Amino acid sequence: MRLMLLMCLAWFMTLTCGSGDKRVRVRAPRGSKWWSLAKPGEVSNGLRAPVRKLYNNPSLLPLTKRQRRLVTKNPGAVMAVVSGARMAIDECQHQFRKRRWNCPIRFEGHRSSIFGKIIQKGCRETAFVYSITSAAVAYSVGRACSQGTIQTCSCDNRVHSRPSGEDWEWSGCSDNAKFGHKFSRKFVDVLEKGRDFRYMINLHNNEVGRVHVSNSLRRQCKCHGMSGSCTIKTCWMTLPDFRSIGLALKDRFDGASQVLPENSVRNRGRGKRRFNFSPANSLHKKPGRRDLVYFEDSPNFCDNDSSLGFDGTKGRECNHSSLGVDGCDLMCCGRGFHTEHYVVQDRCQCIFEWCCEVKCKMCTFNRTRSTCL
Amino acid sequence: MAGVVLETLGNKKLSILIISLLLILTVFFLVGGLVAPAPNSVIPTTAINCYDEDKLWQIGESKPFLPRGKYACKSLHDLHHDKAIKDKKLDANQIVFSQQIPFVKNNTALHMSRWFQNLIGVIDLDIEFKQENPYPEEKTPEMLVEARLYARFKEETDKDWRLIASSKEQRTLECTIEKDKREDGQAYNCELIPFFELGSVFYDYYLINVRLPVSERNDYNKIGSLSDLHSIFIIQNGGFTKVWFSMKTVLFPMVVAALCWFWNRVASQGRPTNLTERTLFALGIVLSIMNCPVEWFTLFFNLPFMMLLNDIRDGAFYAMLLSFWIIFVGEHMLDQTERNRLSAYWRHLAVVLLACTALFIFEMCERGRQLVNPFYSIWSSEIGSVAAFTFIIVASIAACVYFLFLCYLVFKVFRNIGSKRTSLLHMSSFRRKYYSGLIFRFKFLMIVTLLCAALTVIFFILGQVSEGQWKWGDEDINIEYTSAFLTGVYGMWNVYVMALLALYAPSHKQFASEADTDTISQEEEVQLTQQSISTSEKSAANISLVYAYFQNFQAWAKGGKRNMAGQVN
Repeated sequence: MRLMLLMCLAWFMTLTCGSGDKRVRVRAPRGSKWWSLAKPGEVSNGLRAPVRKLYNNPSLLPLTKRQRRLVTKNPGAVMAVVSGARMAIDECQHQFRKRRWNCPIRFEGHRSSIFGKIIQKGCRETAFVYSITSAAVAYSVGRACSQGTIQTCSCDNRVHSRPSGEDWEWSGCSDNAKFGHKFSRKFVDVLEKGRDFRYMINLHNNEVGRVHVSNSLRRQCKCHGMSGSCTIKTCWMTLPDFRSIGLALKDRFDGASQVLPENSVRNRGRGKRRFNFSPANSLHKKPGRRDLVYFEDSPNFCDNDSSLGFDGTKGRECNHSSLGVDGCDLMCCGRGFHTEHYVVQDRCQCIFEWCCEVKCKMCTFNRTRSTCL
Repeated sequence: MAGVVLETLGNKKLSILIISLLLILTVFFLVGGLVAPAPNSVIPTTAINCYDEDKLWQIGESKPFLPRGKYACKSLHDLHHDKAIKDKKLDANQIVFSQQIPFVKNNTALHMSRWFQNLIGVIDLDIEFKQENPYPEEKTPEMLVEARLYARFKEETDKDWRLIASSKEQRTLECTIEKDKREDGQAYNCELIPFFELGSVFYDYYLINVRLPVSERNDYNKIGSLSDLHSIFIIQNGGFTKVWFSMKTVLFPMVVAALCWFWNRVASQGRPTNLTERTLFALGIVLSIMNCPVEWFTLFFNLPFMMLLNDIRDGAFYAMLLSFWIIFVGEHMLDQTERNRLSAYWRHLAVVLLACTALFIFEMCERGRQLVNPFYSIWSSEIGSVAAFTFIIVASIAACVYFLFLCYLVFKVFRNIGSKRTSLLHMSSFRRKYYSGLIFRFKFLMIVTLLCAALTVIFFILGQVSEGQWKWGDEDINIEYTSAFLTGVYGMWNVYVMALLALYAPSHKQFASEADTDTISQEEEVQLTQQSISTSEKSAANISLVYAYFQNFQAWAKGGKRNMAGQVN
């Protein structure tokens, strides 16, 4: 909830600030505009509208024609995409909360990307954003399938090529994650076309995100043989929490491989999304299906950079006792920091249930905060 | 003299019979592996978080909360951050988890089929690690699950849901988390919670509603922070049921025919039946009861007790099979003790009976009780799980004792054979051939039995190790291992019993009919000598022709003894 409020706030801020700012906006890469579906308030009832009305719904403006056709064909999917986009943003901000670049988002209408111009770069951060968003769509659509909110999820245990009703009676349905994976491919990759090197990088990183979702499926089993014994055991796959996928992708971010923008990036055998990248350092091994790739070094993200749309670390909170990236030395890029003591009212002695409202008292706390200069 | 078919059958015929039985067995395996789909499939679902705005459930109204459709409930997308929670001041008592199966898939509205036979529900909770609201790891928290199960036919509308079960159940929740994963947002690894078991899938749609009430007065449902409730439904695949029913329908008349033939044979002997024959007959009857395809009725009637009935029928067959082995081995002991009555085996049979009774009571407590309340689980209460464990441990100890008994008896038989083999050397060539043939066939049958048992165990273990994950061959040919195991084992024991019925029926062929007169006279000589020797042992003489197989061993044993005595002299 608080995050949403923050996002709202950020949105308003950028709206008011942006009106005076007459910079020429660079168009975001075509395939990435759907991210702005995450905009709060955008989930109007229109998106839950019947299929026919959906295609021309103004809320779907950030989508391309093909994406719009796809969500129209799969009623219910657009809600999953919206929640996927939000999940991706939340997860990105969580994973990068201790770094200089902390996955800031801004809503500037549907013509630009909410992640800012970092998306037009080819650095590690770009790779992460692409992979986490495509993973989130796969995850969220898979989850929506398991909730029964998308009516077109596959049921293709098609061994006997029968109509799907009979097929279901004969051998049940396949699991939902597969549909999420396929949908994410169709939806996210739809515009990353051509032989452009950047597109190949993006396609690869999108696939990395989805592969992480598919590979992190957890196997669960239940015994239900004679008298409940294990003579018959049935197993199925479940989606893990999205946090662990975010963590895995963050690990890949830390170990991402830089690749050379060669002209001759060959398609590796079957599948459109398998490329043969050659690593920048010839001693490193070639990036695999699960490795994030990038070709540009990241900027240092210290100062306000209008070409990135990043405000720099000025005013960011830092941890003066940490030696890591969240420590004040690194976070503030040596500019120094300001420490203040302040008194704050916060909730305390809360009673939690497994859900919903938390009953708390309000207490007064003395706290210390360091911010970068 | 009359023997059993096994003895009078020529080697050629015997091998043809065995090969054809093996072929039938392979057919069973292949039918299971190639035609049938996996025995079960799963409908994994994530429940919709409905909220009960007017607290209807709490005031006792049994209105169903529907996950979707025209009358869909008001729902929360997220249990912690949804706007409605603040706006409507919702608390945990107002949340109703709801899910309806099956879904609409591929734009086709699926519905349940009566071929599914049974429906098992399991709950999986996603508990999130939260610093400020942790899951109580030091004690396994008690849960109170209020559940309702509704069902309707496809002709009916969403207004016609009928409540078929409703209960408040206690469950325990066991979750763990690794040390390095203790970070907000990470998930605990929670054990599945058994939810319900339905013995019949009679309706087309099923709907579950679950509430996890909290109260300051008790400690129920203090489980940390819940982010999602998954309800997982397991059904038996329709394809598997069809294959299974067809197998039963084919096997039932076959076994009944074999049984009739066998009993005709025994009755036509014009003598009182012996114990092995009676046991074999009983085994055939129990097998026929197990084979009897009464499950066809589930397609037309709501018969939730079918699952229980099937378990009992299976159990009865295995109990009978175990008893048969003991009696069979005991009757072939080759010593001079006279058995041929059930009371001689009371110790062994008591063990089998004990194991079966323990399992039967356990079964009645679990599945029998579930007929009344499908949400019931014996494992959920402390006393219940202790009792269940006791029954299972008693049954396993009894099973161990049984196998010790059996191994000891088999060992004794083989020792007797071994000790008497030396005397074979001093017999005439015809008799040596005859007796070594007998020993060979007896051993052969022992080996077949062992093979069947070993195959069952090995396939079972293989299935456990691979967890049904094995796929042989490429895309085109997939062998469903678990199905092949189930149909194969089922077919194997059927073939086994049929083989016994065929081979152990009394033969009306004279054993020596093909031999020349010389051997006949020799044979008669054997009979005479035996009778003259065993006059002191009246009972042995009296059975004489009853059970030729057994008797031949006796004759041979005594003949051997006499030979040895002659040598010493």
